[in-house]
Amino acid sequence: MEELILELKKEIIEVLNLDGMTPEEIDENAALFGDGLGLDSIDALELIVLMEKNYGIKLANAAEGRDIFRSVATMAKYVSEHRTK
Amino acid sequence: MNIYIQAASQISTQEPLNEKWFDTPSYPDKILNESIDPDFKAYIPVMIARRMGNLLKRGIVTSVDALNKCSLNGDNLQAVITGTGLGCIENTEHFLNAVLDNEESCLQPTFFIQSTHNTISSQIALFIKCHGYNTTYSHRGTSFDSCLLDAFVQMKLGLISNALVGGHDEMTPSYFTLLQKVGYWKNTPLTDENFHAADTRGSISGNASLSMVMANMKVPYSLCQMRTVEMLYAPTMQEIKAKIDCMLEANGMKLADVDAVVMGLSGDKDNDNVYKNIMSEVTRDIPVMCYKHIFGESFCASAYGVYTAATAIAKKRVPSHLLYSSRKEILNPRNILVFNHFHNIDHSLILLSCPD
Repeated sequence: MEELILELKKEIIEVLNLDGMTPEEIDENAALFGDGLGLDSIDALELIVLMEKNYGIKLANAAEGRDIFRSVATMAKYVSEHRTK
Repeated sequence: MNIYIQAASQISTQEPLNEKWFDTPSYPDKILNESIDPDFKAYIPVMIARRMGNLLKRGIVTSVDALNKCSLNGDNLQAVITGTGLGCIENTEHFLNAVLDNEESCLQPTFFIQSTHNTISSQIALFIKCHGYNTTYSHRGTSFDSCLLDAFVQMKLGLISNALVGGHDEMTPSYFTLLQKVGYWKNTPLTDENFHAADTRGSISGNASLSMVMANMKVPYSLCQMRTVEMLYAPTMQEIKAKIDCMLEANGMKLADVDAVVMGLSGDKDNDNVYKNIMSEVTRDIPVMCYKHIFGESFCASAYGVYTAATAIAKKRVPSHLLYSSRKEILNPRNILVFNHFHNIDHSLILLSCPD
């Protein structure tokens, strides 16, 4: 799981172009949206694309996404359970 | 009602956000010449800049810089008018490549959102929080000229009292290659010889990001007065001559009152022959100024023609490196005519004068 969390952090930095940020600076338990990393709705779309492209996970239910994208840790848990690639 | 250019700011192949190019230009030594970018982080917060391509950042930084020079902001600015030939082509390419690579699925929204031509004008307005008139002109080589005309007419009609106008274009390696295949670029960098030669094709590529503030009130730092903006479609030589005469007469001037004519000479024989015909048939002995030899060619290069003329009037001289044929510096230029054409179809004439 540690490895997957680090991988996700790197992918989030790359896809969201978080210039100058390192994986160590992202707390895997901190909120991705709002007070934590401060991501917004366009970032949510980017993360949905990331999940499909890199892990073969298609998210159809918006309500489900709220729990999945709570933090890097919740993302990693969902990815490990549902990934198809 | 008189209209003035109050301030201008540029990011190009020259040192950014200043006018050092006027006295000590750097001459592009490549065919595809990159912009010299300032530290964007000093102007745009990282979390906002992260979604922006370089062209968008350049557009915002030059806009903010020009507005700061005349103490304007989103609250008191009435219009943002932007010209761009290609729009945010880098983001467009990202998006289209992803469409191919991912077989039309898993497409990133950011590249799509920021791939449209009007992204620049809208993002500038969002950044400075300007709720006024917002328009984009995408008319290839006369995109910037169309912005000027729009702002000029609206001010003359009393609809707006100020406007931020800009010309923004970037050249990507892939688009450069496509244009290279149709002879748009030279095979070697520009030299004094192939710039002036009558039989060589192609020019050199630059990037254009220029913002200027226009207003209907003269201030101590006004660069120049904009007397007339005219655009012509596929004119004959007689029509061009008649239009110039008409413009000058409307402003109580004669051709002899024009101290210099700025032309978009680029070293490409097809482009330059149009200007050379104007020189021999119309403007004759009036000194010709050029600017593409230091700023390069782009769809919004004409913005640098206006900028060069405005700067020369403000600085009260035309240095020899901006003169095409004569090398004798012009002192105290009072009236400068800017003439631009694109493929000898779309033409523009802009008359600038000393602001007093």
